[in-house]
Amino acid sequence: MFHKNDLKAVSKEQAAFLSRIQKRKTAVLALQIFLLVSFFLLWEIAARQRWIDPFLFSQPTRMLASAMDMMQDGTLFLHIGTTLWETVAGFLLGTVLGTLTAVLLWWNRFISDVAEPYLVVLNSLPKTALAPIIIVWFGNNQSSIIIVALLTSVIVTILSVLNGFLQVDEERIKLIQIFGGTKWQVLTKVVFPANIPCILNALKINVGLSFVGVIVGEFLVAQNGLGFLIIYGGQVFKLDWVMMSVIILSILAAVMYQTIALLEKRFTKW
Amino acid sequence: MRPIVSLEDVSLRYHSISGETPAVSHLNLTVQSGEFISIVGPSGCGKSTILSMLAGLLPPSEGHIEVNGNIGYMLQKDYLLHWRSIRSNALLGLEIQKKLTPETVAYVDALLEQYGLGDFKESYPYQLSGGMRQRVALIRTLAIRPDILLLDEPFSALDYQTRLSVSDEIGTIIRKEGKTAILVTHDISEAISLSDRVVVLSKRPAKLKKIFPIRFSMAEHTPMQAREAPEFKDYFNTIWKELDVHVS
Repeated sequence: MFHKNDLKAVSKEQAAFLSRIQKRKTAVLALQIFLLVSFFLLWEIAARQRWIDPFLFSQPTRMLASAMDMMQDGTLFLHIGTTLWETVAGFLLGTVLGTLTAVLLWWNRFISDVAEPYLVVLNSLPKTALAPIIIVWFGNNQSSIIIVALLTSVIVTILSVLNGFLQVDEERIKLIQIFGGTKWQVLTKVVFPANIPCILNALKINVGLSFVGVIVGEFLVAQNGLGFLIIYGGQVFKLDWVMMSVIILSILAAVMYQTIALLEKRFTKW
Repeated sequence: MRPIVSLEDVSLRYHSISGETPAVSHLNLTVQSGEFISIVGPSGCGKSTILSMLAGLLPPSEGHIEVNGNIGYMLQKDYLLHWRSIRSNALLGLEIQKKLTPETVAYVDALLEQYGLGDFKESYPYQLSGGMRQRVALIRTLAIRPDILLLDEPFSALDYQTRLSVSDEIGTIIRKEGKTAILVTHDISEAISLSDRVVVLSKRPAKLKKIFPIRFSMAEHTPMQAREAPEFKDYFNTIWKELDVHVS
Protein backbone atom coordinates (compact mmCIF):
# COMPACT_ATOMS: atom_id res chain seq x y z
CA MET A 1 0.00 0.00 0.00
CA PHE A 2 2.85 2.29 0.90
CA HIS A 3 4.49 1.27 -2.32
CA LYS A 4 1.44 2.24 -4.37
CA ASN A 5 1.49 5.72 -2.88
CA ASP A 6 5.14 6.03 -3.67
CA LEU A 7 4.50 5.18 -7.27
CA LYS A 8 1.73 7.71 -7.51
CA ALA A 9 3.93 10.40 -6.02
CA VAL A 10 6.52 9.98 -8.78
CA SER A 11 6.13 12.57 -11.53
CA LYS A 12 5.97 11.64 -15.18
CA GLU A 13 9.39 13.08 -15.81
CA GLN A 14 10.90 11.15 -12.89
CA ALA A 15 9.21 7.94 -14.08
CA ALA A 16 10.66 8.42 -17.54
CA PHE A 17 14.08 9.04 -16.02
CA LEU A 18 13.88 5.88 -13.90
CA SER A 19 12.75 3.75 -16.82
CA ARG A 20 15.60 5.09 -18.96
CA ILE A 21 18.10 4.04 -16.28
CA GLN A 22 16.44 0.64 -15.94
CA LYS A 23 16.49 0.11 -19.71
CA ARG A 24 20.17 0.91 -19.89
CA LYS A 25 20.91 -1.53 -17.06
CA THR A 26 18.99 -4.28 -18.84
CA ALA A 27 20.76 -3.54 -22.12
CA VAL A 28 24.20 -3.78 -20.49
CA LEU A 29 23.38 -7.10 -18.82
CA ALA A 30 21.80 -8.52 -21.99
CA LEU A 31 24.83 -7.65 -24.07
CA GLN A 32 27.18 -9.11 -21.45
CA ILE A 33 25.30 -12.42 -21.50
CA PHE A 34 25.07 -12.35 -25.29
CA LEU A 35 28.85 -11.89 -25.65
CA LEU A 36 29.57 -14.77 -23.28
CA VAL A 37 27.14 -17.16 -24.96
CA SER A 38 28.22 -16.28 -28.49
CA PHE A 39 31.88 -16.68 -27.54
CA PHE A 40 31.33 -20.27 -26.47
CA LEU A 41 28.90 -20.94 -29.30
CA LEU A 42 31.34 -19.63 -31.90
CA TRP A 43 34.12 -21.67 -30.33
CA GLU A 44 31.97 -24.81 -30.53
CA ILE A 45 30.94 -24.16 -34.14
CA ALA A 46 34.48 -23.30 -35.20
CA ALA A 47 35.73 -26.56 -33.75
CA ARG A 48 32.95 -28.65 -35.34
CA GLN A 49 33.43 -27.03 -38.72
CA ARG A 50 37.20 -27.66 -38.37
CA TRP A 51 37.95 -23.94 -38.76
CA ILE A 52 40.20 -24.56 -35.74
CA ASP A 53 41.80 -27.81 -34.65
CA PRO A 54 39.96 -29.02 -31.51
CA PHE A 55 43.04 -31.00 -30.53
CA LEU A 56 44.92 -27.73 -30.04
CA PHE A 57 42.05 -25.38 -29.17
CA SER A 58 39.69 -27.80 -27.41
CA GLN A 59 35.96 -27.02 -27.55
CA PRO A 60 33.22 -26.32 -25.00
CA THR A 61 31.50 -29.71 -25.28
CA ARG A 62 34.81 -31.58 -24.90
CA MET A 63 35.69 -29.48 -21.86
CA LEU A 64 32.29 -30.21 -20.38
CA ALA A 65 32.75 -33.93 -21.08
CA SER A 66 36.13 -34.07 -19.36
CA ALA A 67 34.71 -32.05 -16.45
CA MET A 68 31.93 -34.67 -16.16
CA ASP A 69 34.45 -37.52 -16.23
CA MET A 70 36.55 -35.89 -13.55
CA MET A 71 33.53 -35.16 -11.43
CA GLN A 72 32.52 -38.80 -11.57
CA ASP A 73 35.85 -40.05 -10.29
CA GLY A 74 36.05 -37.10 -7.89
CA THR A 75 39.43 -35.83 -9.11
CA LEU A 76 37.98 -32.47 -10.24
CA PHE A 77 36.89 -31.63 -6.70
CA LEU A 78 40.31 -32.63 -5.40
CA HIS A 79 42.01 -30.26 -7.86
CA ILE A 80 39.62 -27.38 -7.20
CA GLY A 81 39.73 -27.95 -3.43
CA THR A 82 43.54 -27.99 -3.39
CA THR A 83 43.89 -24.78 -5.36
CA LEU A 84 41.14 -23.06 -3.39
CA TRP A 85 42.64 -24.01 -0.03
CA GLU A 86 46.12 -22.87 -1.06
CA THR A 87 44.80 -19.58 -2.41
CA VAL A 88 42.63 -18.77 0.60
CA ALA A 89 45.44 -19.69 3.00
CA GLY A 90 47.85 -17.57 0.92
CA PHE A 91 45.81 -14.40 0.78
CA LEU A 92 44.58 -14.60 4.36
CA LEU A 93 48.12 -15.14 5.65
CA GLY A 94 49.44 -12.43 3.33
CA THR A 95 46.83 -9.93 4.49
CA VAL A 96 47.18 -10.76 8.20
CA LEU A 97 50.99 -10.77 8.19
CA GLY A 98 51.07 -7.66 6.01
CA THR A 99 48.70 -5.81 8.32
CA LEU A 100 50.62 -6.87 11.44
CA THR A 101 53.87 -5.70 9.87
CA ALA A 102 52.22 -2.40 8.94
CA VAL A 103 51.15 -2.00 12.60
CA LEU A 104 54.74 -2.60 13.71
CA LEU A 105 56.10 -0.08 11.20
CA TRP A 106 53.47 2.49 12.20
CA TRP A 107 54.33 1.95 15.85
CA ASN A 108 58.05 2.42 15.37
CA ARG A 109 58.82 5.05 12.76
CA PHE A 110 62.55 4.40 13.09
CA ILE A 111 62.19 0.78 11.94
CA SER A 112 59.86 1.97 9.19
CA ASP A 113 62.39 4.51 7.91
CA VAL A 114 65.09 1.83 7.93
CA ALA A 115 62.86 -0.69 6.14
CA GLU A 116 61.55 1.69 3.48
CA PRO A 117 64.07 1.17 0.64
CA TYR A 118 63.96 -2.61 1.11
CA LEU A 119 60.18 -2.64 0.94
CA VAL A 120 60.18 -0.52 -2.20
CA VAL A 121 62.62 -2.86 -3.95
CA LEU A 122 60.84 -6.01 -2.77
CA ASN A 123 57.56 -4.53 -3.97
CA SER A 124 58.80 -4.15 -7.54
CA LEU A 125 60.41 -7.59 -7.58
CA PRO A 126 58.23 -10.26 -9.24
CA LYS A 127 57.64 -12.52 -6.27
CA THR A 128 57.16 -15.61 -8.42
CA ALA A 129 60.88 -15.38 -9.21
CA LEU A 130 61.40 -16.53 -5.63
CA ALA A 131 59.27 -19.66 -6.09
CA PRO A 132 62.15 -22.03 -6.99
CA ILE A 133 64.14 -20.82 -3.95
CA ILE A 134 61.17 -21.32 -1.64
CA ILE A 135 60.70 -24.84 -2.97
CA VAL A 136 64.35 -25.68 -2.37
CA TRP A 137 64.16 -24.31 1.16
CA PHE A 138 60.76 -25.55 2.28
CA GLY A 139 60.51 -28.73 0.24
CA ASN A 140 58.46 -30.24 -2.48
CA ASN A 141 55.10 -29.78 -0.77
CA GLN A 142 51.96 -27.74 -0.29
CA SER A 143 53.38 -25.38 2.33
CA SER A 144 55.88 -24.11 -0.26
CA ILE A 145 53.00 -23.23 -2.57
CA ILE A 146 51.21 -21.37 0.24
CA ILE A 147 54.40 -19.49 1.07
CA VAL A 148 54.78 -18.40 -2.56
CA ALA A 149 51.16 -17.21 -2.55
CA LEU A 150 51.75 -15.35 0.70
CA LEU A 151 54.86 -13.68 -0.69
CA THR A 152 52.99 -12.32 -3.70
CA SER A 153 50.61 -10.37 -1.48
CA VAL A 154 52.42 -9.55 1.75
CA ILE A 155 54.65 -6.67 0.59
CA VAL A 156 51.97 -4.76 -1.26
CA THR A 157 49.70 -5.19 1.78
CA ILE A 158 52.36 -3.76 4.10
CA LEU A 159 52.83 -0.72 1.87
CA SER A 160 49.18 0.05 1.25
CA VAL A 161 48.02 -0.53 4.84
CA LEU A 162 50.94 1.47 6.28
CA ASN A 163 50.10 4.27 3.89
CA GLY A 164 46.49 4.17 5.11
CA PHE A 165 47.66 4.25 8.73
CA LEU A 166 49.87 7.27 8.10
CA GLN A 167 47.10 9.17 6.36
CA VAL A 168 44.85 9.22 9.42
CA ASP A 169 44.17 12.86 10.32
CA GLU A 170 46.55 14.14 13.03
CA GLU A 171 43.62 15.86 14.73
CA ARG A 172 41.82 12.55 15.18
CA ILE A 173 44.90 11.22 16.92
CA LYS A 174 44.94 14.37 19.05
CA LEU A 175 41.33 13.60 19.97
CA ILE A 176 42.48 10.38 21.65
CA GLN A 177 45.45 12.11 23.28
CA ILE A 178 43.37 14.88 24.84
CA PHE A 179 41.46 12.21 26.74
CA GLY A 180 44.81 10.91 27.95
CA GLY A 181 44.76 7.96 25.55
CA THR A 182 47.80 5.74 25.01
CA LYS A 183 49.42 4.87 21.69
CA TRP A 184 47.70 1.48 21.84
CA GLN A 185 44.36 3.30 22.15
CA VAL A 186 45.24 5.58 19.25
CA LEU A 187 45.76 2.39 17.24
CA THR A 188 42.68 0.48 18.37
CA LYS A 189 40.19 3.35 18.59
CA VAL A 190 41.14 5.40 15.53
CA VAL A 191 43.94 4.23 13.26
CA PHE A 192 42.86 0.61 12.84
CA PRO A 193 39.08 1.08 12.54
CA ALA A 194 39.60 3.99 10.14
CA ASN A 195 41.56 1.62 7.90
CA ILE A 196 39.23 -1.36 7.80
CA PRO A 197 38.08 -0.35 4.29
CA CYS A 198 41.74 -0.10 3.28
CA ILE A 199 42.47 -3.59 4.66
CA LEU A 200 39.42 -5.07 2.93
CA ASN A 201 40.57 -3.45 -0.29
CA ALA A 202 43.99 -5.05 0.17
CA LEU A 203 42.23 -8.37 0.69
CA LYS A 204 40.43 -7.89 -2.63
CA ILE A 205 43.66 -7.23 -4.50
CA ASN A 206 45.36 -10.11 -2.72
CA VAL A 207 42.86 -12.65 -4.08
CA GLY A 208 44.22 -12.11 -7.58
CA LEU A 209 47.85 -12.01 -6.47
CA SER A 210 47.49 -15.14 -4.39
CA PHE A 211 46.08 -17.05 -7.37
CA VAL A 212 49.18 -16.10 -9.36
CA GLY A 213 51.42 -17.42 -6.60
CA VAL A 214 49.46 -20.65 -6.21
CA ILE A 215 49.35 -21.44 -9.93
CA VAL A 216 53.09 -20.80 -10.34
CA GLY A 217 53.78 -22.90 -7.24
CA GLU A 218 51.63 -25.72 -8.60
CA PHE A 219 53.40 -25.53 -11.96
CA LEU A 220 56.61 -26.29 -10.11
CA VAL A 221 55.81 -28.87 -7.46
CA ALA A 222 52.21 -29.98 -7.18
CA GLN A 223 50.70 -33.44 -7.66
CA ASN A 224 47.22 -31.95 -7.80
CA GLY A 225 45.46 -28.60 -8.09
CA LEU A 226 44.31 -26.63 -11.13
CA GLY A 227 47.84 -25.37 -11.79
CA PHE A 228 49.07 -28.94 -11.87
CA LEU A 229 46.22 -29.87 -14.20
CA ILE A 230 47.13 -27.03 -16.54
CA ILE A 231 50.84 -27.87 -16.71
CA TYR A 232 50.24 -31.62 -16.89
CA GLY A 233 47.48 -31.20 -19.50
CA GLY A 234 49.88 -29.10 -21.58
CA GLN A 235 52.59 -31.75 -21.36
CA VAL A 236 50.34 -34.63 -22.46
CA PHE A 237 48.47 -32.49 -25.01
CA LYS A 238 45.15 -32.74 -23.18
CA LEU A 239 44.11 -29.19 -24.05
CA ASP A 240 40.58 -29.97 -22.81
CA TRP A 241 41.97 -30.12 -19.27
CA VAL A 242 43.97 -26.96 -19.71
CA MET A 243 41.09 -24.88 -21.07
CA MET A 244 38.64 -26.30 -18.54
CA SER A 245 41.00 -25.46 -15.66
CA VAL A 246 41.47 -21.91 -16.88
CA ILE A 247 37.72 -21.39 -17.06
CA ILE A 248 37.19 -22.90 -13.59
CA LEU A 249 39.95 -20.61 -12.30
CA SER A 250 38.24 -17.52 -13.63
CA ILE A 251 34.96 -18.59 -12.03
CA LEU A 252 36.71 -19.16 -8.69
CA ALA A 253 38.44 -15.78 -8.84
CA ALA A 254 35.17 -14.02 -9.64
CA VAL A 255 33.32 -15.74 -6.79
CA MET A 256 36.03 -14.89 -4.27
CA TYR A 257 36.23 -11.29 -5.38
CA GLN A 258 32.47 -10.93 -5.07
CA THR A 259 32.51 -12.52 -1.60
CA ILE A 260 34.99 -9.92 -0.36
CA ALA A 261 33.10 -7.12 -2.09
CA LEU A 262 30.01 -8.25 -0.14
CA LEU A 263 32.04 -8.33 3.06
CA GLU A 264 33.22 -4.81 2.30
CA LYS A 265 29.65 -3.56 1.89
CA ARG A 266 28.67 -5.18 5.16
CA PHE A 267 31.55 -3.53 7.06
CA THR A 268 31.15 -0.06 5.62
CA LYS A 269 27.51 0.66 6.40
CA TRP A 270 28.29 4.16 7.62
CA MET B 1 40.91 32.38 45.84
CA ARG B 2 43.36 30.02 44.18
CA PRO B 3 43.03 30.30 40.40
CA ILE B 4 41.95 27.14 38.56
CA VAL B 5 44.44 27.82 35.77
CA SER B 6 47.59 29.87 35.88
CA LEU B 7 50.37 30.50 33.41
CA GLU B 8 53.54 32.12 34.73
CA ASP B 9 56.02 33.55 32.28
CA VAL B 10 55.30 30.79 29.78
CA SER B 11 57.23 30.62 26.51
CA LEU B 12 57.19 28.02 23.77
CA ARG B 13 59.38 27.53 20.75
CA TYR B 14 58.74 25.08 17.92
CA HIS B 15 61.68 23.25 16.43
CA SER B 16 61.96 22.10 12.84
CA ILE B 17 64.82 21.40 10.46
CA SER B 18 64.48 24.86 8.93
CA GLY B 19 64.84 26.52 12.33
CA GLU B 20 63.32 27.58 15.60
CA THR B 21 60.00 29.43 15.72
CA PRO B 22 58.94 31.25 18.88
CA ALA B 23 55.18 30.69 19.22
CA VAL B 24 54.42 32.03 22.71
CA SER B 25 56.52 34.56 24.61
CA HIS B 26 56.48 35.26 28.37
CA LEU B 27 52.77 34.83 28.85
CA ASN B 28 51.10 35.43 32.22
CA LEU B 29 47.44 34.61 32.77
CA THR B 30 45.21 33.39 35.59
CA VAL B 31 41.69 32.08 35.28
CA GLN B 32 39.25 31.79 38.19
CA SER B 33 36.89 28.87 38.62
CA GLY B 34 33.62 29.35 36.70
CA GLU B 35 35.04 32.05 34.46
CA PHE B 36 34.59 32.13 30.69
CA ILE B 37 37.73 33.53 29.05
CA SER B 38 38.26 34.18 25.36
CA ILE B 39 41.64 34.49 23.76
CA VAL B 40 41.68 36.48 20.53
CA GLY B 41 44.60 37.34 18.33
CA PRO B 42 45.71 37.48 14.71
CA SER B 43 45.53 34.13 12.94
CA GLY B 44 48.59 31.96 13.40
CA CYS B 45 49.68 33.87 16.51
CA GLY B 46 49.94 30.78 18.70
CA LYS B 47 46.50 30.76 20.33
CA SER B 48 45.98 27.04 19.82
CA THR B 49 49.48 26.36 21.11
CA ILE B 50 48.42 27.80 24.48
CA LEU B 51 45.54 25.32 24.69
CA SER B 52 47.82 22.42 23.74
CA MET B 53 50.13 23.41 26.59
CA LEU B 54 47.24 23.66 29.06
CA ALA B 55 46.07 20.21 27.98
CA GLY B 56 49.54 18.83 28.66
CA LEU B 57 50.12 17.84 25.02
CA LEU B 58 53.05 20.25 24.67
CA PRO B 59 55.51 21.00 27.46
CA PRO B 60 56.40 24.73 27.60
CA SER B 61 59.99 25.65 26.76
CA GLU B 62 60.10 27.97 29.76
CA GLY B 63 57.81 29.02 32.57
CA HIS B 64 55.28 27.27 34.72
CA ILE B 65 51.73 26.09 34.09
CA GLU B 66 49.35 25.10 36.84
CA VAL B 67 46.00 23.47 36.16
CA ASN B 68 43.83 22.52 39.14
CA GLY B 69 41.16 20.32 37.64
CA ASN B 70 40.19 17.97 34.87
CA ILE B 71 40.58 19.24 31.35
CA GLY B 72 38.07 18.78 28.56
CA TYR B 73 39.23 19.83 25.10
CA MET B 74 37.04 20.67 22.13
CA LEU B 75 38.75 20.75 18.76
CA GLN B 76 38.07 22.90 15.69
CA LYS B 77 35.98 20.23 14.05
CA ASP B 78 33.79 17.64 15.70
CA TYR B 79 36.03 14.73 14.58
CA LEU B 80 33.25 12.25 15.28
CA LEU B 81 34.37 8.77 14.31
CA HIS B 82 32.18 7.85 11.35
CA TRP B 83 32.11 4.12 12.12
CA ARG B 84 30.65 4.69 15.58
CA SER B 85 27.08 5.55 16.47
CA ILE B 86 26.36 8.92 18.08
CA ARG B 87 26.06 7.33 21.52
CA SER B 88 29.27 5.39 21.07
CA ASN B 89 31.02 8.58 19.92
CA ALA B 90 29.79 10.42 23.00
CA LEU B 91 31.18 7.61 25.18
CA LEU B 92 34.63 7.69 23.55
CA GLY B 93 36.34 9.77 26.23
CA LEU B 94 34.99 7.64 29.07
CA GLU B 95 36.01 4.53 27.18
CA ILE B 96 39.58 5.79 26.77
CA GLN B 97 39.82 6.76 30.42
CA LYS B 98 38.32 3.38 31.38
CA LYS B 99 35.49 5.09 33.25
CA LEU B 100 32.57 3.30 31.62
CA THR B 101 30.24 2.56 34.51
CA PRO B 102 26.43 2.43 34.61
CA GLU B 103 26.48 5.89 36.23
CA THR B 104 28.71 7.57 33.66
CA VAL B 105 26.80 5.96 30.77
CA ALA B 106 23.52 7.14 32.27
CA TYR B 107 25.00 10.64 32.53
CA VAL B 108 25.90 10.64 28.83
CA ASP B 109 22.44 9.34 27.92
CA ALA B 110 20.91 12.11 30.01
CA LEU B 111 23.08 14.75 28.30
CA LEU B 112 22.10 13.40 24.87
CA GLU B 113 18.42 13.53 25.83
CA GLN B 114 18.74 16.95 27.39
CA TYR B 115 20.42 18.50 24.37
CA GLY B 116 18.05 17.16 21.78
CA LEU B 117 19.98 14.12 20.56
CA GLY B 118 17.91 11.46 22.30
CA ASP B 119 16.40 10.24 19.04
CA PHE B 120 19.75 10.08 17.30
CA LYS B 121 21.68 7.89 19.73
CA GLU B 122 21.89 5.00 17.31
CA SER B 123 22.36 7.19 14.22
CA TYR B 124 25.70 7.65 12.54
CA PRO B 125 27.52 10.99 12.28
CA TYR B 126 26.81 11.42 8.53
CA GLN B 127 23.09 11.51 9.31
CA LEU B 128 23.43 14.62 11.52
CA SER B 129 23.73 18.31 10.68
CA GLY B 130 26.93 20.23 11.45
CA GLY B 131 25.39 21.88 14.49
CA MET B 132 24.16 18.60 15.92
CA ARG B 133 27.56 16.99 15.38
CA GLN B 134 29.22 19.83 17.25
CA ARG B 135 26.78 19.25 20.12
CA VAL B 136 27.76 15.57 20.18
CA ALA B 137 31.40 16.67 20.36
CA LEU B 138 30.55 18.88 23.34
CA ILE B 139 28.75 16.01 25.10
CA ARG B 140 31.74 13.76 24.42
CA THR B 141 33.84 16.40 26.20
CA LEU B 142 31.36 16.94 29.06
CA ALA B 143 31.04 13.18 29.59
CA ILE B 144 34.34 13.01 31.44
CA ARG B 145 33.05 15.75 33.80
CA PRO B 146 35.83 18.24 33.15
CA ASP B 147 36.27 21.26 35.43
CA ILE B 148 37.89 23.27 32.66
CA LEU B 149 36.84 23.33 29.03
CA LEU B 150 39.35 24.28 26.37
CA LEU B 151 37.61 25.36 23.17
CA ASP B 152 39.79 25.68 20.09
CA GLU B 153 37.70 27.66 17.59
CA PRO B 154 35.01 25.02 17.96
CA PHE B 155 32.58 26.81 15.65
CA SER B 156 34.92 27.76 12.84
CA ALA B 157 33.99 24.83 10.61
CA LEU B 158 30.30 25.79 10.62
CA ASP B 159 28.52 28.14 8.25
CA TYR B 160 27.60 31.57 9.63
CA GLN B 161 23.95 30.88 10.52
CA THR B 162 24.72 27.59 12.23
CA ARG B 163 27.71 29.14 13.91
CA LEU B 164 25.61 31.83 15.58
CA SER B 165 23.06 29.40 16.94
CA VAL B 166 25.59 26.72 17.94
CA SER B 167 27.81 29.19 19.79
CA ASP B 168 24.73 30.50 21.58
CA GLU B 169 23.64 26.97 22.43
CA ILE B 170 27.03 25.75 23.56
CA GLY B 171 27.76 28.92 25.50
CA THR B 172 24.49 28.48 27.36
CA ILE B 173 25.20 24.80 28.06
CA ILE B 174 28.65 25.59 29.46
CA ARG B 175 27.21 28.30 31.76
CA LYS B 176 24.46 25.96 32.90
CA GLU B 177 26.91 23.19 33.74
CA GLY B 178 29.00 25.74 35.67
CA LYS B 179 32.26 24.99 33.87
CA THR B 180 35.33 27.12 33.53
CA ALA B 181 36.00 27.74 29.85
CA ILE B 182 38.89 29.03 27.79
CA LEU B 183 37.87 29.78 24.22
CA VAL B 184 40.31 30.48 21.43
CA THR B 185 38.78 32.36 18.51
CA HIS B 186 39.48 35.00 15.90
CA ASP B 187 35.86 36.12 15.92
CA ILE B 188 35.66 39.22 18.16
CA SER B 189 31.84 39.20 18.37
CA GLU B 190 31.86 35.59 19.45
CA ALA B 191 34.43 36.35 22.14
CA ILE B 192 32.49 39.31 23.53
CA SER B 193 29.12 37.56 23.48
CA LEU B 194 30.38 34.50 25.37
CA SER B 195 33.00 35.72 27.82
CA ASP B 196 33.65 37.32 31.16
CA ARG B 197 37.05 38.48 29.98
CA VAL B 198 38.62 38.80 26.55
CA VAL B 199 42.38 38.35 26.31
CA VAL B 200 44.02 40.03 23.31
CA LEU B 201 47.29 38.60 22.06
CA SER B 202 49.89 40.12 19.77
CA LYS B 203 51.15 38.71 16.50
CA ARG B 204 53.42 35.69 16.68
CA PRO B 205 55.15 35.11 19.02
CA ALA B 206 52.03 35.54 21.13
CA LYS B 207 52.44 38.09 23.92
CA LEU B 208 49.67 39.36 26.15
CA LYS B 209 48.50 42.76 24.91
CA LYS B 210 45.50 43.53 27.04
CA ILE B 211 42.68 41.92 28.99
CA PHE B 212 39.16 43.35 28.67
CA PRO B 213 36.58 42.51 31.35
CA ILE B 214 33.14 42.28 29.71
CA ARG B 215 30.11 43.57 31.66
CA PHE B 216 26.66 44.08 30.22
CA SER B 217 23.94 46.22 31.79
CA MET B 218 21.36 43.43 31.58
CA ALA B 219 21.62 40.90 34.39
CA GLU B 220 20.73 37.57 32.77
CA HIS B 221 21.49 37.11 29.11
CA THR B 222 22.29 34.43 26.60
CA PRO B 223 25.25 34.92 24.25
CA MET B 224 22.77 35.81 21.49
CA GLN B 225 21.11 38.50 23.62
CA ALA B 226 24.52 39.91 24.53
CA ARG B 227 24.97 40.79 20.88
CA GLU B 228 21.99 43.15 21.24
CA ALA B 229 23.43 44.94 24.31
CA PRO B 230 24.28 48.63 23.87
CA GLU B 231 27.81 48.07 25.19
CA PHE B 232 28.51 45.38 22.61
CA LYS B 233 29.56 47.74 19.84
CA ASP B 234 31.93 49.68 22.08
CA TYR B 235 33.63 46.51 23.24
CA PHE B 236 33.91 45.43 19.63
CA ASN B 237 35.53 48.68 18.52
CA THR B 238 37.99 48.79 21.42
CA ILE B 239 39.10 45.20 20.91
CA TRP B 240 39.27 45.67 17.16
CA LYS B 241 41.61 48.63 17.66
CA GLU B 242 43.69 46.70 20.15
CA LEU B 243 44.04 43.79 17.73
CA ASP B 244 45.49 46.28 15.28
CA VAL B 245 44.89 44.25 12.17
CA HIS B 246 46.59 45.82 9.21
CA VAL B 247 45.39 44.82 5.81
CA SER B 248 47.83 46.28 3.39
